[in-house]
Amino acid sequence: MNDMIIAADGLSKSYDGKPALRSLHLEVPRGSICGFLGRNGAGKTTTLKLLLGMLRRDAGAIRMFGEPIDSEASSIAARRRLGFVSEDKELYPFMTIDQTIRFTRAFFPGWRRDLEEKYLDLFQLPRKKAVPKLSKGMRTQLMLLLAMARGAELLLMDEPTSGLDPAMTEDVLQILADLAASDGTTIFFSSHQLAEVEQICDRVCIIDQGQSVIDGVLDDLKSDYRRILLVFDGEPPRELAELDGVDHLRQRGRTASLLAHGDVDALVDRARELKPSSVEVRPVTLKELFLDHVRGE
Amino acid sequence: MLWYKAWLETRWRFVFILGSILLVWVAPLWLPSTGVSAAVAASRMGRALQLESALLYIFAAIYLAGAGINTQTVYAATTGFHGSMLFTLSMPVSRRRLLLVRAGLGAILTGLLVAIVAGYTLLHQPGSASARAIVEYIARAIICTMAVYSLSVLMACVLDEMWQFMGGCCVWVAFFMLQSRFAVLSSLSPLRGMSLICYPLGGPMPWMTVLASLAFAGAFLCASALVLQRKEY
Amino acid sequence: MNLRINFASGVPIYQQLMEQIKHAVDTGAIRGGEQLPTIRKIAEELAMNPNTVARAYRELEREGIIEVRHGSGAYVGMPSTSSAKVAGIRKAAEVLRPAMERGLAIGLSEPELRRVFEDELSRLRDDAAAERRGN
Repeated sequence: MNDMIIAADGLSKSYDGKPALRSLHLEVPRGSICGFLGRNGAGKTTTLKLLLGMLRRDAGAIRMFGEPIDSEASSIAARRRLGFVSEDKELYPFMTIDQTIRFTRAFFPGWRRDLEEKYLDLFQLPRKKAVPKLSKGMRTQLMLLLAMARGAELLLMDEPTSGLDPAMTEDVLQILADLAASDGTTIFFSSHQLAEVEQICDRVCIIDQGQSVIDGVLDDLKSDYRRILLVFDGEPPRELAELDGVDHLRQRGRTASLLAHGDVDALVDRARELKPSSVEVRPVTLKELFLDHVRGE
Repeated sequence: MLWYKAWLETRWRFVFILGSILLVWVAPLWLPSTGVSAAVAASRMGRALQLESALLYIFAAIYLAGAGINTQTVYAATTGFHGSMLFTLSMPVSRRRLLLVRAGLGAILTGLLVAIVAGYTLLHQPGSASARAIVEYIARAIICTMAVYSLSVLMACVLDEMWQFMGGCCVWVAFFMLQSRFAVLSSLSPLRGMSLICYPLGGPMPWMTVLASLAFAGAFLCASALVLQRKEY
Repeated sequence: MNLRINFASGVPIYQQLMEQIKHAVDTGAIRGGEQLPTIRKIAEELAMNPNTVARAYRELEREGIIEVRHGSGAYVGMPSTSSAKVAGIRKAAEVLRPAMERGLAIGLSEPELRRVFEDELSRLRDDAAAERRGN
């Protein structure tokens, strides 16, 4: 079967008594591109830092590349095979682009010089420029280069396209798609840009308040979930909320909007029994899926 | 490449200290002559240098221990508190190795500065000294400074870059005041061990102090490693 | 082949890709026996996920519209294998078109028209299910 390049179970972490992750379950199959979505403070960066060994978990188990990560040595072994892009794209202010590349290159024997040249050229990054003089966008590009040129099997990225204009974002997505297609690189990244997640990801994981609320193949989620709009002559009946398969219910006046998944046909049948004046079934976008699961209405 | 990075991080601090020290040495030459005889002037210079060199050792040790062990520069208006440390920690390298290389380079540079200053100080001592006395002085100056350096490294691991320097200075000022009250501290004090006033040139070598300094240096380094190992970023 | 995917749509991407490829075959943009672009090429060009492209290709192969030859790539199946489906699609389009024109003529907007279509489709499905239960 698909071997999991990341497998976390029961992952918990608190800061000063405040829980950031509560028994998080996360699986990322090798070769997939998985989007990690969640509101600010939901636990995305904490999860990435735990995977990298920057934080120690309170509870739970982490396996990466099939090996348990429970010591510094195992964490270092995993870091040899992955690339990381941090949220704030910090690099060394006392180095130039060239020095930064040479520094990083020394740690990875599988470094791809051809990709280094290609990305330097694409991003138009001048080798001799000092890091503090770079704009946020250029720092992002440099960090992406450093992560993607090392021949890593897995890329862990925290908002990889922040600060990039739409044209450059498209270029980056193309590079990622190509890395996945040609080298089978697995990509796990957090993002606030739903559009780019919909474009490039085959899997999506939504985290809310430290727990995973959605985790699966994006296309399958689109098939499994439906929005059912019902209009009634009076108040929508209370039984609606108890129907099997209703994930989320919102009422406004005489209209009820259901987010449903599973056996949608059966659900529609039972909804019809409640005698609505109109029934409409619509497909669900990722945005709706996201908002309905994190806005806690 | 870690040594190269450490050097890039520290080189300006090293240059700054070297420059400051040179300035301190050159300054007396620019002071207006007060009509004092050359011999007296030289003698005063000698004593001043003795006092100053210990201070210079300490200053160098604290300052050079600072950069790059823990926080590293944080860009303004970012939410990240740990700066480029996250980039460093994402590399496949152990925290212990990070500490050893960074502290190691700082120690080498500090030792170098101590040797330079000690050499210059010796040149201005009245009278002459045996080779053995010279070696003893330089050795204890370096070892005692390493104790100060090591504690500064520990402070760098625990505190922010900004506070590390001030914290270091505060600790040693406090120690300086305490050592005059407590005989135990006085006999083991690195501050006195590195000074020519407390232990004159050619006099008996303060072995206890030197050994204590060595022990302190080792202990503080281990403590630093422990702190870094457990630290959360 | 001119492929355009609406990534924001609620319709699964692999299905959209399948439809686009089938459409290309129908209109003759790509003919029987011709080679389709590689998965890598489509993924890179559209900046989309290669697994999704692979899934579309797998489904198309299952439906008999394309065949995947190991080592050389994916090729459009010869017309005979898909002609029945193609003909069926053409017939349905012919039948539906006047109804749609009528709907638009009486003043329905496109979303309204789509809603009617979905509703009727649901009702048909319900009726079929009811019939099965009745038997």
